[in-house]
Amino acid sequence: MTNKLIPLAAVDVEVEATSVRGTVVKSKWLHSLLTFLVVFGPGLIVMVADNDAGAVSTYSQAGAQYGNHLLWIVALLLPATYFIQEMVVRLGIATGKGHAAMIYQRFGKWWGLFSLVDLELVNFLTLVTEFAAIDLALNKMGVDPRLGVPLAAAALILITVSGSYRRWERTVVFLCLLDLAWFYIAFMMRPEWGAVARSSVLPSMPPGGITADLTFLVIAIVGTTVAPWQLFFQQSCIADKKLRFADLRWARLDTFLGACVTVTAAACMMIAGAASHTHGFHFTDPAQMAVDIGSFAGPLIKNLILLMMINAAVLGTTAISLSSAWAYGEVQGWPHSLQLPFSKAKGFYFVYALCVAAAAGLVLIPRAPLQLIILGVQVLAGVILPSAIIFLQLLLNDRELLGDYANKPWNNVVNWTIIVVLFALSLILAAQVAAPNLFPTIS
Amino acid sequence: MATMLLNKMELEELRNDHRWVVIHPLDDAPETKVDTAALGPMKMTLSVRLSLMSLRAYLILMLLLVFYRVFCQAGFFGLHV
Repeated sequence: MTNKLIPLAAVDVEVEATSVRGTVVKSKWLHSLLTFLVVFGPGLIVMVADNDAGAVSTYSQAGAQYGNHLLWIVALLLPATYFIQEMVVRLGIATGKGHAAMIYQRFGKWWGLFSLVDLELVNFLTLVTEFAAIDLALNKMGVDPRLGVPLAAAALILITVSGSYRRWERTVVFLCLLDLAWFYIAFMMRPEWGAVARSSVLPSMPPGGITADLTFLVIAIVGTTVAPWQLFFQQSCIADKKLRFADLRWARLDTFLGACVTVTAAACMMIAGAASHTHGFHFTDPAQMAVDIGSFAGPLIKNLILLMMINAAVLGTTAISLSSAWAYGEVQGWPHSLQLPFSKAKGFYFVYALCVAAAAGLVLIPRAPLQLIILGVQVLAGVILPSAIIFLQLLLNDRELLGDYANKPWNNVVNWTIIVVLFALSLILAAQVAAPNLFPTIS
Repeated sequence: MATMLLNKMELEELRNDHRWVVIHPLDDAPETKVDTAALGPMKMTLSVRLSLMSLRAYLILMLLLVFYRVFCQAGFFGLHV
């Protein structure tokens, strides 16, 4: 490596310099298993949290409108999402710093400020959609959102301000594992598994051919699977957890397993959507879809889908709010670690709590312009995604910064291909949202 | 399998004794990382400059599209989208 190495400043965590706490084991495989388990977390969380309320809506709508026809797109997104997040893993482990700090330091104030403002804005708007989903699901469960939404917001703040990274991570990993209920839901829909397997590996065109609606939905699926906040979140999370160079392979495995879980859960959501369509229901939103499915699969499945919708929104909210708080803390130079008690990182926790509370409050305002906010999320996400990924790719090719951890030529071929596709798709998405009449309907 | 506080020498002894130690990253001694502050801003090669220029062009295009949408909404071009 050509760069200068310095001891990591232990300003925020008291570390006993002379001794470390460790578990002694006698076998190598047990050592590997336990090491993986202590490293495991950020990869799973970033991937499962990506299946947030917006994703539940997009995937179930795709299933409701096109059956199993778009499953192959979800399968294709597995390597795309893994390769992008793997770059973040390397960058986080090598630098021990967050993504926002990296952009500021390597590209200057203008790009740093642009990335930060864009991230904070799109994150906040996304948070509003998360709470809107909680509101919708609670309504269908017969719970008053005026009670349920503030309670959810308070719980989200409490799990974060405990002053323990490990406590936060364990709670969130538990919530991520609840997402496995989507497998049960899909199983109870009794799809033709042979057809599901075929649609997952063989690209097929839905009846009706390429239409503006189909194009929009495909872009929405891609956009919801690879989101800008994920880059900022996972790098900051890795820096906060203080992952070491030796942890790289386990962090990669964590990310890969997370990608597998999220993509399979996404396919399950599509299967649920397809089942509601098969029974003659028209898709309006995932909460209504749960009610429709409940009419033929029973109240247990209905409530399970509604709970999974709330779980998705809760996971999305904690991850997105944290990516905002970490990014802001890094740029401001504030202490910004979940290991710190509230009294030592007031600014960091305040930003987190403000994001959660403001988004929850906005949803409870009668006649809030939620549709305009959803539109804003789509446009801004379309703008920020390519720029965020270009910065990531440039940083990963920065040999001065990363030395041996920089991208290899094959990494660049794969990543530039993904970037060009994402760039083109997000350009179409933003253009379609900004000026829908530019695109005629083709059928 | 036992959890204990270990110093450098004890860690070395365990390694020589063919035993393995699992240490949580948060419990481990801080590791040396890349000194990003000392590096300063990135040296802009031609490819980096081109990438950033195309990014700026993309952002300008996006802003124009957003303004177009806003003007259409406001009825400036005689149509409502």
